[in-house]
Amino acid sequence: MTQQMTTQQNKIESILQNIEQVMVGKREAIELSLLALLAEGHVLLEDVPGVGKTMLVRSLAKSFNLDFKRIQFTPDLLPSDVTGVSIYNQKEMNFEFRPGPILGNIVLADEINRTSPKTQSALLESMEEKHITVDGTTMELKRPFFVMATQNPIEYEGTYPLPEAQLDRFLLKLNLGYPSIDDEIQMLDRTSSEHPIDRLEAVMDQEDLLRLQEDVTHVHVSDAIKKYIVYLIDATRKHPLFDLGASPRASIALMKAAKAYAYISKRDYVLPDDIKYLTKHVLSHRVIISSEAKFEGKTTASILDDIVRKTIVPIERG
Amino acid sequence: MHSLKAQQWISLILYGGSLLLLLEWIFPLEEVTDTSFTSTFVMYIVLCFILSATQLPYWIVSPVKLLGLLFVMHQLYFEPTFFTKAWFELFWLDLNTNLSFLWARDWVSLTSSFRTLLFLILLWMLSYLLYYWFAVRKKPFSFILFTFIYLTVLDTFTAFDASTPIIRAFIIGVAVMGVAYLQHLLENENMRMPAMKTMVKWIGPLLIVIGFSTIIGYAAPKYDPIWPDPVPFIQSTAEGSGYGDGPGGGVQRIGYGENDERLGGGFVQDDTTVFYAQAPKSQYWKVETKDTYTGHGWTRSQDGQFEHSEGSLEGLQEYSDLVDLNDDHAQIQFVEPGFLNKLVYTYGVEHVTPVHDGMSLEFNRITGEVLSKVDGQTRLPESYEIDMQRPFFPVEEMRTVTEKGELDQYLQLPDSLPDRVVSLAEEITAEHDNRYDKAKAVEEFFSSNGFIYETQDVAVPDGDEDYVDQFLFETQVGYCDNFSTSMVVLLRSVDIPARWVKGFTEGERLTGEDYFEGHQPEYEITNNNAHSWVEVYFPNVGWVPFEPTVGFNNQSSFSYGETLDDILEEEEQDYEQPESSETPELPEGEEEEEDESDDQAVASGSMSQPLKYSLIGAGVVLLTIIIWLLMKKRLVIVSKWKKRKMENYTDVETFTEAYQFLLRALAHKGLVFGEGQTLREFAVDVDRWFGENHMSQLTAYYERAIYRDESIDSHHAEVNQLWNKLVNDVLA
Repeated sequence: MTQQMTTQQNKIESILQNIEQVMVGKREAIELSLLALLAEGHVLLEDVPGVGKTMLVRSLAKSFNLDFKRIQFTPDLLPSDVTGVSIYNQKEMNFEFRPGPILGNIVLADEINRTSPKTQSALLESMEEKHITVDGTTMELKRPFFVMATQNPIEYEGTYPLPEAQLDRFLLKLNLGYPSIDDEIQMLDRTSSEHPIDRLEAVMDQEDLLRLQEDVTHVHVSDAIKKYIVYLIDATRKHPLFDLGASPRASIALMKAAKAYAYISKRDYVLPDDIKYLTKHVLSHRVIISSEAKFEGKTTASILDDIVRKTIVPIERG
Repeated sequence: MHSLKAQQWISLILYGGSLLLLLEWIFPLEEVTDTSFTSTFVMYIVLCFILSATQLPYWIVSPVKLLGLLFVMHQLYFEPTFFTKAWFELFWLDLNTNLSFLWARDWVSLTSSFRTLLFLILLWMLSYLLYYWFAVRKKPFSFILFTFIYLTVLDTFTAFDASTPIIRAFIIGVAVMGVAYLQHLLENENMRMPAMKTMVKWIGPLLIVIGFSTIIGYAAPKYDPIWPDPVPFIQSTAEGSGYGDGPGGGVQRIGYGENDERLGGGFVQDDTTVFYAQAPKSQYWKVETKDTYTGHGWTRSQDGQFEHSEGSLEGLQEYSDLVDLNDDHAQIQFVEPGFLNKLVYTYGVEHVTPVHDGMSLEFNRITGEVLSKVDGQTRLPESYEIDMQRPFFPVEEMRTVTEKGELDQYLQLPDSLPDRVVSLAEEITAEHDNRYDKAKAVEEFFSSNGFIYETQDVAVPDGDEDYVDQFLFETQVGYCDNFSTSMVVLLRSVDIPARWVKGFTEGERLTGEDYFEGHQPEYEITNNNAHSWVEVYFPNVGWVPFEPTVGFNNQSSFSYGETLDDILEEEEQDYEQPESSETPELPEGEEEEEDESDDQAVASGSMSQPLKYSLIGAGVVLLTIIIWLLMKKRLVIVSKWKKRKMENYTDVETFTEAYQFLLRALAHKGLVFGEGQTLREFAVDVDRWFGENHMSQLTAYYERAIYRDESIDSHHAEVNQLWNKLVNDVLA
């Protein structure tokens, strides 16, 4: 592990602490969001309103001093509202591109399942391709680029659920959940005068983040670990209670996430423990549970837990 | 004074249980072996146990135990005052003699005192062993199991009745297991000894379970045994063997024919030669007669008087003048007489001449026994000559006897004899009006009614079943004892005096070998020729032999008056004499001889069968122990090897092997690397168990080696140290 890498990793801890000032008791969600950011992936947050989804993403943006954009998805939202439009400038006598919110660094796509599939795919495609094409002009998205999309799992009225193929583009799916009693009391304390987000200072800048992302790609993944990943993914495909197993893209995602997680854990190599921990978060939105399993009262998470428990961890090199 | 700690109490209780169980091993000895010192042994065991339980240092306990052992030996065997020079000299002499016997592998010659000494040493060792098993390891199960096996085997194969001991052993066994389990619980859960009140709650259910299952087990209906009780058979084959005593030993075993009290059961063939005989004509060799039928076998109502003689047996067999006599001469040469301690003789014997001097004879008119005496001791001569007047029994004269019996002694029948036997006898003899024809009818009854000669698969009558009744009406399968006894009983049922005769058949005629001078035919008589037949009394003739057994022929001569037919018939009869090879005959009573002769063989020489087996057995036991030790110590042995490899190589493969060996060793200790577990998780488990963090440290290095593909060169010393510590902890 290089000296430089060590100092970078120490900074990560300060980022986490910074965000924790806003998000009380949500260390895991913060870590995972940061992980996704470092792994250049995107996060799907599935939770009820008001648990701090926006706060999480805003504090993340603020800590890195990043450009934060928010898109409130509504049924009448058009793709151009996401990507931006060219408007004819009469004074200049030419078309001028007005960039949409997607051209920010960190994009909060709120209630993504409320908009039409056309608009959804405009977002999701740009997430994958990292560039947009408007009126024949191709534009690179900013780097770093990080989308945090939210879904309300309760209300289904008038929604357009994301198809599995689209869900696959998110690196992780997270749940914030309600804070514990103590945490909530502490949260009230902190927000009684002014919101802590307003006081939040940047810990790193954009350049630092890009360097961290670069570092993460250099985290070592041994053959044994790759084998373990593939065994796990394969097990989801063969599991009788899943109608659809995880795709090869899921294998890549799991590896990328594991690298970032190892990096956050101040390691430059991935452990089976990282994979074990991340499987649930990386795979749960990429598989389809069978109706029999639902009938038996099983959940995707419980079946994935079961797979992890039964897959033998490689303990030899290669 | 501190009261004993609770743990020690439990150990004491367990040790006490083991004492009771060991006593269950000792009690049957009196019955199944020839020892009569059981109470002494018990006292010595109790002494040893008490001494072991005191936990005094061994240099106090061992001398006291030794002293106790010597004292027991003194009480049992040695007359001089204890602890005098003479005493020690005697003891030393005894020890030395026996050690030389041991050295010569002359097992039979070992004296009783030495056997007792060895047994006492065994008991001493057992007191240590059981202390270790019960009080230290607290693992009583195997000893309890062995106790059960021991008792059941004794109950099945010996006369020992274990029905009460097995209940006792059960109660003791379950109680001991219960206490041991309690102890393990306390130990595993690291609990303090509960208060008395709690103890009652623990012990109460145990006692209830023991009581309940004992009562249920005792009262519940049980299956009848699926195979017949093998005891009578084993007794018949094994009696007289067992702990045979060496020269100068104490207890004399019963001899030839004493065990006719319970007939029945199969036997195995034994072609050991008992004696060689030279005689002009094949004939039965008589040994003795018996007169009282008990319903299960034969005894004597009177033992008769032994008359001294220098050779003449005048009066042993008396025939009237009506019997034609023919001068003949025979010779006998004993080979392996075993327990046969009486002379064999022929019908019409007049005079016996021992080849050696200094021998006199004693004979018994009632029982027909002839003994030879040297200096007042019964001793069988190696060889002797017989002068005889071979009788020709006059059939016509015998036919004249019509009146019913005389000689009440030979009309005895047990009260328990079923009526149907009498009815059958009456039915068989109804057509005939004289004694001879009646006897002949009974004699021929068996061969003409499908009775089968069989030596292996022969029934033993149950407790109240009559031997003859069973043979006649149920099995109809048997050997000479069945036939001869049945004939006597049938004859007596119709008031014909008859008695039961034991001896040997004519044997196998030898061709080629010359054991005797002279030109008369020679015969070899083996244990297989042992036989029993019948004699019927005719007042005008005397005792006349009959042969009811299917497949055998009466070798005595009968004269049939002057008619040609009679003569032809007689010749025919002679002609039909069976080859000796067709007489695989060994009634159960005689089988003891076989065992004894085997013992003799052991005594007389080189490595014998039993010794060979015991050596093989010892080898197997030794091998098992070695394998067991290797299995038990394999991890330690492998660890040494791995350790050396670890020191010399730093490559990942060696580290991987060493680490996986550690995983195996941990699994052996019960810390199993689980499915789906990561090394890190497992290391945490292990460290929690040992209360250290060596495993986590080592695992961190291992993880770097396999998941980071890092070389351990730079950390080799540390890795080695951690690994050694862990292996030592695990294998400790």
